[in-house]
Amino acid sequence: MATTATITLTSADIAGDPVNVSKTATCTKAGTTTDLDQTTGLSRVHLRSTTNKVLLAANAEGNDLAAKVYIINKATDPTLYCTITINAQTIGKLYAGDWMFIPWSQTDTSANIEIAATNWTASTGDIPVEYAVFHEDTDFLTNA
Amino acid sequence: MATTNATISLSSDIADNTLTVANTSALYTAGTTTGLNTMTSVTKVLESTNNVDLITTGSVSTTHAYVYINNPSTDHTEYFHIHIGNNVGSGTYDDGTLPTEEIGRLYGGDWMWFPWDVDDDITIKPSVSTPMTVEYQVFS
Repeated sequence: MATTATITLTSADIAGDPVNVSKTATCTKAGTTTDLDQTTGLSRVHLRSTTNKVLLAANAEGNDLAAKVYIINKATDPTLYCTITINAQTIGKLYAGDWMFIPWSQTDTSANIEIAATNWTASTGDIPVEYAVFHEDTDFLTNA
Repeated sequence: MATTNATISLSSDIADNTLTVANTSALYTAGTTTGLNTMTSVTKVLESTNNVDLITTGSVSTTHAYVYINNPSTDHTEYFHIHIGNNVGSGTYDDGTLPTEEIGRLYGGDWMWFPWDVDDDITIKPSVSTPMTVEYQVFS
């Protein structure tokens, strides 16, 4: 029941020598080698709110447990971005095609992952976003 | 400008049907199709459980960057708390009053990748005071 995540970073010309970094993580329960055994699956939403909306609701029971979050902005207009926030702390902007993969601590129930289609307008069209969570804890996401 | 790509391949057989995701993003300056041109690669060994700066806003000259952080340890019980906000040294953190938020815990063998708006520092807190190595790259 394994979940693996591989990142590959490549560039032929950002430095004097080519950059090629590749790392595979097997997603396990916190502090163990036991595979994560639950997932939301891959979900898709279309965003048009310029203010923060809860994408993933934190559950305090998730604190000290492992959760990995994948989010991608599937827009094709390079100017369109989504702002990703955890508990009012902005992490960064996902521009069209950008993705992120992070561990999520859920240190408390305020640690929601929120998202805003910050520069959306009626003329830009919705911003499609896909996401998935891989996690442990049977009660996780029951308040989503 | 340079051409830099970040690819993720996810595979999971948790559910009855295997989930497979593969996506590549080209790294551009904010809102453009102009490639990034700056990269920083660092390996650090941390030897205390203090919450300290890992990547400061002053180290990046733009307001849009991408961050890769890797815990190369093979010990799955040891981890880093990865925060965004001001470091608090040996003080209490994440008490609800400080301008800092724990993103997540990076256990041995884990990596993370995310866009960074360079508004606040990225800080780190090892789970143990024995030497722990962290690797990171910043593209901007």
